[in-house]
Amino acid sequence: MFFRKSIIALTGLFLCIFLIVHLSANSILVLPEETARSLYNSYSTTLRESPLIKIVAYVLYLSIILHVVYALLITINNRKAKAKGYRVNQYKENSSWTSQNMGLLGISILLFIVVHLANFWARIKLGMGEGVGLDANGHVDVYEVTYSLFQNGYYVVFYTLLMVPLGLHLHHGLKSAFMTLGFYHKRGLRTIAKVSLVYAIIMAVGFGVIPSIVFLK
Amino acid sequence: MKVIFKIWRQENAASKGNFESYEVDGLTKDMSFLEALDHLNELLVSINKRVIAYEYDCREGICGQCGVFINGRAHGPHDHMTTCQLHMRSFEDGDTIVVEPWRASAFPIIKDLVVDRSALDNIIEKGGYISAKTGTAPEANAILVGKELADKAMDAAACIGCGACVATCKNSSASLFTAAKINHLNSLPQGKQEASKRVLEMTRQMELEGFGSCTFTGACEVECPEGISILNIAEMNARRTKAKWLG
Amino acid sequence: MLDSKIPEGSLENKWRNYQIKAQLINPANKKKLNIIVVGSGLAGAGAAATLAELGYDVKCFCYQDSARRAHSVAAQGGINAAKNYQHDGDSVWRMFHDTLKGGDFRSREANVYRLAELSAPLIDHYVQQGVPFAREYGGVLVNRSFGGVQVQRTFYARGQTGQQLLLAAYSQLYKMKRAKKVEMFPRHELLDLVVIEGRAKGIIVRDLITGKLKRFAADAVVLATGGYSRVFRLSTLAIGCNGSAIWKAHKRGAYFAAPSFTQIHPTALPQTSEAQSKLTLMSESLRNDGRIWVPKKKGDDRKANTIPEGERDYYLERRYPSFGNLAPRDIASRAAKERIDAGYGVGRLKNAVYLDFKHAIERFGMETIKDRYGNLFKMYKKITGVDAYNEPMQISPAAHFSMGGLWVDYELMTTIPGLYAIGECNFSDHGANRLGANSLLQASIDGYFVLPNTINNYLAHALKEDHPTTEHPEFERVENEVKEHINKLLSVQGNKTVDHFHRELGKVMWQECAMSRNAEGLEKAIAQIKGIINAFWNEVNVTGGHKEMNTELEKALRLADFLEMGLLMCTDALEREESCGAHFREEFQTSEGEALRNDDTYSYVSAWEYNGGSFNLHKEDLTFENVQPTVRSYK
Repeated sequence: MFFRKSIIALTGLFLCIFLIVHLSANSILVLPEETARSLYNSYSTTLRESPLIKIVAYVLYLSIILHVVYALLITINNRKAKAKGYRVNQYKENSSWTSQNMGLLGISILLFIVVHLANFWARIKLGMGEGVGLDANGHVDVYEVTYSLFQNGYYVVFYTLLMVPLGLHLHHGLKSAFMTLGFYHKRGLRTIAKVSLVYAIIMAVGFGVIPSIVFLK
Repeated sequence: MKVIFKIWRQENAASKGNFESYEVDGLTKDMSFLEALDHLNELLVSINKRVIAYEYDCREGICGQCGVFINGRAHGPHDHMTTCQLHMRSFEDGDTIVVEPWRASAFPIIKDLVVDRSALDNIIEKGGYISAKTGTAPEANAILVGKELADKAMDAAACIGCGACVATCKNSSASLFTAAKINHLNSLPQGKQEASKRVLEMTRQMELEGFGSCTFTGACEVECPEGISILNIAEMNARRTKAKWLG
Repeated sequence: MLDSKIPEGSLENKWRNYQIKAQLINPANKKKLNIIVVGSGLAGAGAAATLAELGYDVKCFCYQDSARRAHSVAAQGGINAAKNYQHDGDSVWRMFHDTLKGGDFRSREANVYRLAELSAPLIDHYVQQGVPFAREYGGVLVNRSFGGVQVQRTFYARGQTGQQLLLAAYSQLYKMKRAKKVEMFPRHELLDLVVIEGRAKGIIVRDLITGKLKRFAADAVVLATGGYSRVFRLSTLAIGCNGSAIWKAHKRGAYFAAPSFTQIHPTALPQTSEAQSKLTLMSESLRNDGRIWVPKKKGDDRKANTIPEGERDYYLERRYPSFGNLAPRDIASRAAKERIDAGYGVGRLKNAVYLDFKHAIERFGMETIKDRYGNLFKMYKKITGVDAYNEPMQISPAAHFSMGGLWVDYELMTTIPGLYAIGECNFSDHGANRLGANSLLQASIDGYFVLPNTINNYLAHALKEDHPTTEHPEFERVENEVKEHINKLLSVQGNKTVDHFHRELGKVMWQECAMSRNAEGLEKAIAQIKGIINAFWNEVNVTGGHKEMNTELEKALRLADFLEMGLLMCTDALEREESCGAHFREEFQTSEGEALRNDDTYSYVSAWEYNGGSFNLHKEDLTFENVQPTVRSYK
């Protein structure tokens, strides 16, 4: 159990770092059309070609899988530990809703990831669905894929709304990962709790508003 | 004062159990919650019914024997309080009070509101002690323990073993209970000799007893009558990692 | 007739001489010997763990769901030891003298000296077991003062000293359980003792989950079942505390010593209603810094904080200037009762006095007071809803400790060979009044240090005898008696609850056999209790069966014994025509209302033998070779 919990925490922290990189890339999308297209496409080409990034990508896939699988295993075990619940349970008086529903939030995020991968990863890397053209610099036009996706209002709403569970999940996940890994310095943890909140807001808002900006372009 | 008790009745471990409602009149705000249940039991005897089984002993919040889920909270609506310290002044006339036993697979129900918490004793048995035979101790002041350290050990040692942490935890984790004992003993110089063995064996036993894992909801530290901090769990995790990898 | 087996030699050498002469048993043989320990408090758990460490096979029983709940857990203030860490003139001798004097010279010199002598190593022992006693910043142990004493010799762990000591003892018990030398039987209650050919050889217990009666045989039986002050119903004790084990032992032949010596604690929370089940104790240590007072005007209804200094009567400081608020418990309780009875009581029912921290907070600062008593103030707030940092606490006397108990000799053996009584359930060290912070001490010393050194003397003989088995016809006979007793209770099927009769008994005992007693009242009480016993057996209703968990049946079984014990307590109080310690007979007092002891006639320990429905008195004369009994003065 401790091993599994540590893996969830470590992979979670890794994914948190990944999100920072991801968001900084996404922020290119808010730049004026032409700059955004060339920057974004050359950036994504660089990512695909760099051998180091390739390794990191596999670590990323593995992290997501481990995070999900171990969370699932732990949840099953925890459910077994509480075979019967209470008729009345006022848990909101002693803990946050988020902390009590990390599994539900996680599943929403997983759902999001599946759709997100189908939209981008499957199309660009696996070549599934409609083909992707090249831009003026000869780079794969990932920008176009993004731009066209967010012309669809439903996707914009979906991508925006699903950032709410992401933010909540990150808020509890980040600070509790530190405690799972054995960080118990009182004042340090108070700082981490604040950082978690700020981080979660930046991530949720950041990822959440970009589709709308693209939509309105 | 009149209230309606909705109480879990279950004849024994094997039977199914269900809620029963009892309208109880003649209570006063000064009564403790358990005294109100005593009163209900006397009423049940007067109509030749079996009494409700519930636990208590010291009735001053230190023995840890009492403990039921009251209106959706372990030990009732207040933070840091035992069931025996809860008074009827915390309820309104006419309230419905739902009373359930601790729910955790590691705490099987014995009867009505009484559960078996021997799993906690089993964790203690695996290292919640310092191996020092009677008659072998050095002079008490020979090993100094600074005030801060003694206070910190005492904060953790204050655990009364009621099981509210397990009861309130959505995963029925006994992490707070186990961590409190480990940190109490491992932080003192007297407990250092067996520190690694203690943390590894006690946490292993905790898992074997069928308690869930800690996901840091923080509910336990709020319901803990002694207000033992959840940081203890983080500290236990650190101690465990250290013991596992560094010995 | 009563041989207390006091060893030879000077006071300082008695315990040493005893140990030199006591028999030993070699480790290989210890394995073959079984010992039953009933009770898992400081005495029981300490004894069980230590006996197991020595190699005996131990079975330990408790009625609670875990050994960690035993009522030692509730002791708050501390534990005394003659370490003289504070450099304030303490010594074993002084501690011995304080305890003997505190007990109003109604205990054995040799026992009390041993208690003081072993107190210092006991602190070493608990520190080594991980008890987080209070410390100075530099790391050494801190002491505080306690009632009845002018030195600081009390060690403490916040207001939870009993809990911390008990958890240490409990952890050692489980250490030995892991080593498979102790077998634990929680949720098992002793219902009778089995005596074969005059020797204690086993017990009959009831499994409180299944209701099944079980037999256990052993080479020796140790009772560590605590005090019996629940006879008053309202007391500071846990609800489950009972006198059944010692009462059953008494009926099987063990003499009961000084049953009427029960201590009324001065600082409990006052009763607020008829339905109340328990009087919560506020540690006596509060009297270190708190000042006790009542208004000078009768029936003064003003709020405490609005009563000016000049109109407050700090009656303990007034009556006992040298000890003041730290006067011993019996004296403090009686003084409170005197004020309350005279109409100066405060609180809704006018049954309380104030305990005020205003001056202490002014003098030491809020932080220091919080550090010393924080959890007690928190507890007070939880129970009463009042913040005692801002207004004085209301306190009231409540039944607390029973000095009386099974008569034991220097080896802690009762008058039944092979039956030992340790801790609060015996009468040994406290005389007619126990000093604060001596209870944890006595229980621990009995369990850890004394019994494991004395039981060999008896068991060395047991080795040569046949080991008892539960097949013996005596087990059958006793079990049948227990069954009959239970069936009789269940078949009354009257119309009153067990609690009803307990309340009745409690009222009589509190009225006539508590803080002050008189012949007329005690005679009346005896008649009343007989009436209650009669009514109990004709009108009680115990619902549910015996082959299940039945809390009502548990209560009824305990009460049946309390009722009979109440009779003996009154009989004893009536017989002792003097005032000593907690036993205050109104007929025997000085013109100033202080206790008037009569050493010429009553310098003995009463030891009662059960004789069908009546009791025969035996006397163990107390001789004082080292200390001249004086009039106890705390002025």
